[in-house]
Amino acid sequence: MTVEQAAAERQAVERIVLGAFEAMTGRRGGPLRYAMMDDTPVGVLGLAAGQLGLRHVNYARGEDEFVERLLAEHGDVPVLRSDALDDVRRALDRYFAGRRLDFDLKVDLSGLPAFHRRVLDETARIPAGQVLTYTEVARRAGSPRASRAAGNALHNNPVAIVVPCHRVLRADGSLGGYGGGLPIKEWLLEHEGARPRSI
Amino acid sequence: MPERTDRAQHIALLLAKHGDELARHIRRIVRDNDAAQDILQDTMIRAHGGLARVAAGSNTRAWLYRIATNTSLNHLRARRRERAALLRHAAERETDGPEGSSDHQGLDARRAELWARVAGLPERQRLALTLRLADELDYEEIARRLGGTPAAARANVYQATKKLRLTLGEP
Repeated sequence: MTVEQAAAERQAVERIVLGAFEAMTGRRGGPLRYAMMDDTPVGVLGLAAGQLGLRHVNYARGEDEFVERLLAEHGDVPVLRSDALDDVRRALDRYFAGRRLDFDLKVDLSGLPAFHRRVLDETARIPAGQVLTYTEVARRAGSPRASRAAGNALHNNPVAIVVPCHRVLRADGSLGGYGGGLPIKEWLLEHEGARPRSI
Repeated sequence: MPERTDRAQHIALLLAKHGDELARHIRRIVRDNDAAQDILQDTMIRAHGGLARVAAGSNTRAWLYRIATNTSLNHLRARRRERAALLRHAAERETDGPEGSSDHQGLDARRAELWARVAGLPERQRLALTLRLADELDYEEIARRLGGTPAAARANVYQATKKLRLTLGEP
């Protein structure tokens, strides 16, 4: 099969699934495509992207749990498994292999509150191997006294690893919190060559 | 209606996880995108109805493939019968006289009855059915030729097919 034929087939297949989605569940419109990464060094990851970019990199217990979460959170659009996320998967593979620690992926945070978005935008600018404090991220996001709110935004980061919320620590150098669990935060920082206890 | 919502949620989950590969599979068997959507929906309804009987952890995926395969093959068989009936009828009109057959009388009577039914369909249904079965057009093309939407073309073919099935004595 040529590349064009494969693309045409994928398009036709998607139309069939989306037609069935609309007819049977009332869900319509631009779908959320997802893929699973089952055996990364940090466990199972669920990935999901819409037309505008990557929307989820989540720590998951498994596929069912991740898909149910997507269906519940995005109650109005169809969700479907797709190999269209291969570029995201490859970028994460490169990251875990240590070949490339930063990401050149389009991320869509449009569903989040404005302040959360600003915090995550600033976080996305922290290079691998470096860390910032919650207070500093809050300041860069325009609200120096909102470090707790910044922590909240980071805790609810829908795009883990790619938006590197693990690079934000407490002012005393302790790890603070992490949605995926502190051992994973520690692993990621070590993997990137950051020294969390030396700031 | 909680039951309905549960059903929609469950089907959404099945479609999300398996819709892609099942649609690909079905489409390869029937080579028809419109029919593939109908068959995928049929598969999901059957899967939803039967899932309670399938033990958790057993191979849901293989089971879904089996339903999709059977539904696709049934579709092809029904399609072949309908098409054969329609083409028989068309050939009869061309030559204006049936070829020799031992089952001559019965076949003639069946053809006559079928033709009466087809001819008795509302015009749009008859035209849509002919374009679909004899010319093998998709619903978009039928809509382009007859006017109206693809969904309306689909509905016309569906209604006509239902009547035709009754004529042929099929469920």
